[in-house]
Amino acid sequence: MKDDVCIRDLEKDFGGFKAVNKLSLRVKHGEIYGLLGPNGAGKTTVIKILCGLLRPSSGEAYVLDTKVPDPRTASRIGYMPQELAMYRGLTVHENLAFYGEVFGLSKQQIDTREQALLKLIDLQDSRDTLVDQLSGGMQHRTSLACALLHEPQLLFLDEPTVGVDPDLRASFWQYFEELRDSGITILITTHYMDEARHCDRIGFMREGRLIAEGSPQELLELTHTDSLEDAFLSYSRTGESA
Amino acid sequence: MKVSRVFAVTKRALRDIKNDRRTRVLIFVAPLLVMILFGVAFTGNVKDVRVIVVNNDTAAASSSLSDKIISNFDTSTLNVAYSNSESDAIGQVQNGSAYAVIAFPSTFTQSVEARASGQTSIPQENVTVSILADKSNVNVANPIIAAVNNAVVQTTQGQGHQPPVSVDASNAIYGANAQFIDTFVPGIVSVAVWQITMLLTLIAFVGERTSGTLSRLLASPLKESELVAGYAVAFGAIGAAQSAVLLAVAVLLFHITIVGNVFLSFGVIALLAIVAEGLGILLSSFARREAQAVQFLPFVVLPAFLLSGVFWPIEAIPEWLQPVSYLLPTTYAVAAVRSVNLRGWGLDKIYPDVVALLIFAGVFLVLATILLRRRE
Repeated sequence: MKDDVCIRDLEKDFGGFKAVNKLSLRVKHGEIYGLLGPNGAGKTTVIKILCGLLRPSSGEAYVLDTKVPDPRTASRIGYMPQELAMYRGLTVHENLAFYGEVFGLSKQQIDTREQALLKLIDLQDSRDTLVDQLSGGMQHRTSLACALLHEPQLLFLDEPTVGVDPDLRASFWQYFEELRDSGITILITTHYMDEARHCDRIGFMREGRLIAEGSPQELLELTHTDSLEDAFLSYSRTGESA
Repeated sequence: MKVSRVFAVTKRALRDIKNDRRTRVLIFVAPLLVMILFGVAFTGNVKDVRVIVVNNDTAAASSSLSDKIISNFDTSTLNVAYSNSESDAIGQVQNGSAYAVIAFPSTFTQSVEARASGQTSIPQENVTVSILADKSNVNVANPIIAAVNNAVVQTTQGQGHQPPVSVDASNAIYGANAQFIDTFVPGIVSVAVWQITMLLTLIAFVGERTSGTLSRLLASPLKESELVAGYAVAFGAIGAAQSAVLLAVAVLLFHITIVGNVFLSFGVIALLAIVAEGLGILLSSFARREAQAVQFLPFVVLPAFLLSGVFWPIEAIPEWLQPVSYLLPTTYAVAAVRSVNLRGWGLDKIYPDVVALLIFAGVFLVLATILLRRRE
C-alpha cells in the first residue's frame, strides 16, 4: 500500500531549539496514525510542516507524493488546527460557506455537503447561530466540519479532542473511524494516551524524536503494559537511560 | 489570483461587520459624531467677546469720530461695555471678565481732523486707537483686533477719507462662500477613514493570527495575495461608504460646498482605506494580542490628525517637520478631497495625489503579502 505521508530525517530548528529532531515516519493510505506525546514534544510542528505552514530546517517530507511545502497539496488536505480556527462573529453556515468558497466549491456543493455534515455532527438546528454563541463542544464539531467540507483525501487533526467532553470524544473517534473506512487517511495528534487505542498505528514522540512506533497492541505487548500511558512511560524511561 | 477567492474573503470580512452592531456603530456613527461636534463647536467665528471701551475723546457727540467707530463695531463678535477709567477697564481684563480694553485718546477726533487737513505735526499717539488685549488666547485676541480694524476702515471711508491703497478679496477663484467646516470636512473624512480602517485591520488580522483561521487559510488553496486583496476590496468599499455618509450629513447639516464630483472623492477615500489596510496588516504582525495592536493607533493616527493639513495647512508646519507630512498618506487624501469638493478639480488635476496614494497602497500591499507568505 502506498504512503500518503512520508517523512525522512525531518528537523526543525527554532533559533537553537530543536522542535523536531531526525524524525522519520510514514502514514499509509487509509489508516489512522496517531502521533502521541506530551506537550512540547513537537507534534504540532510536524503537522504544521506537513500543511506547508512551516519550512523544514533539514530532511524532507512528502504529502500525497508531493514534497512540501507545495501549494498543490492544499486542496487535497484537510487541516484542523489546535485553535478553533473559525470566525466567532459569523454563523456556522457563514463559516462553512467561506471555507467552501476558499476551496473553490460551488454554492450547490457547499449546500449539499453542509447539510450532510451538520447532520453528522448533530448541528442542524444551529446552522444560523453565531459560532460565539455555541457551546465549546459544538464549536469543536463545527471546526471539524470546516476541515471536511471540501472532502479531503488526507486529514491533519491537531489535538482535536482537547477540551472535549468524554461523550463527544467517543463520537469523534467513531466518526474518525467512519472517515477512515470511507478511504480517508488521518494523521492525528493527541496527548490523551488512552484514546489512541482507536488508531491503527501510533508513534510516540518525545523531545522532537520518534521513540517508538507500532500498532497499539504491539506497543502494549512489547512493553508488557496494560495501558498506552504506561507503554509511553516505559519507552520514555528507556530513552532517558539510553 | 482568483477573483472568486478574493470575493470570498471580501464577503467574509463584510459579514463580520454586518453581524456586529458595535463595529457598525464604530464605522458610521463615531466619525459622524466627531464631525458634527467639530462642525457645531468650531464654526471658526468668535462670538460675543466682552471688551471694555474707554473713550476719552472730548469731541461733541454729534461730530465724534470715536463714537462713529464704536457704532461700526461688529456687535456679533464684540460685546461692548464702557468704562471711564482705563485702570478700572484693565482690572476687568485682569480678573477675566473682559478680553480687551479699547481706548481712544482725549484729542482723538480733533487730531484726526487736523491730520486730514494737512497738519503733519500731530503726534501719532493722538490718532491711535489702542487695544490692550488678553493675548493668552490668540483665537480670541485676533478677531478683536480685526473687528476694531474693520470698524476704523469703515468709518474713515464713511467720512470720505479714501485710503491710498485698497485690497479687495471678495472675488474668490475657489471656495467663494467657504467656511471653516468646508475646509475641515475633507480632513475629518480622511482621518476618520484612516483611523477606523487601521483599527479594523489590526483587530481582524490579530484575530486571524490568534484564532488559527490564518493557519487554516494558509493551508488552503487561498493565496496570500488573495487574502490581502479580499480585505482591500472590503475595507475600500467601507471607506467609500463612510465618506458618502459623512459627506451627505455635512451637506444636510452644515450646507457645505461641494462643486466637484463626489464619486471621485469617494474613490480617493477608498484608496486611502486600502493604504491603511496594507499598513495595518504589517503592524498587526508585531502584536500578539488585540490590546497590543491597539497601542499602535496613537502613533498612526495622531500624526495624521496633526500633520496632514486637517486643521492648518502644511505650509504652517515648521519646515523641518514638513517631510513627515509628505510621508503621511492622509496628506494626499486630504488635499485631493479638498480640491475635488471645493475647487471642483477632476482626476486630470488631482492625479499627483492619487499617484502618491497608489504608490503607498502598492508598497504596503506587496509588503503585507510578502510578510504573510513568509514561512519560518
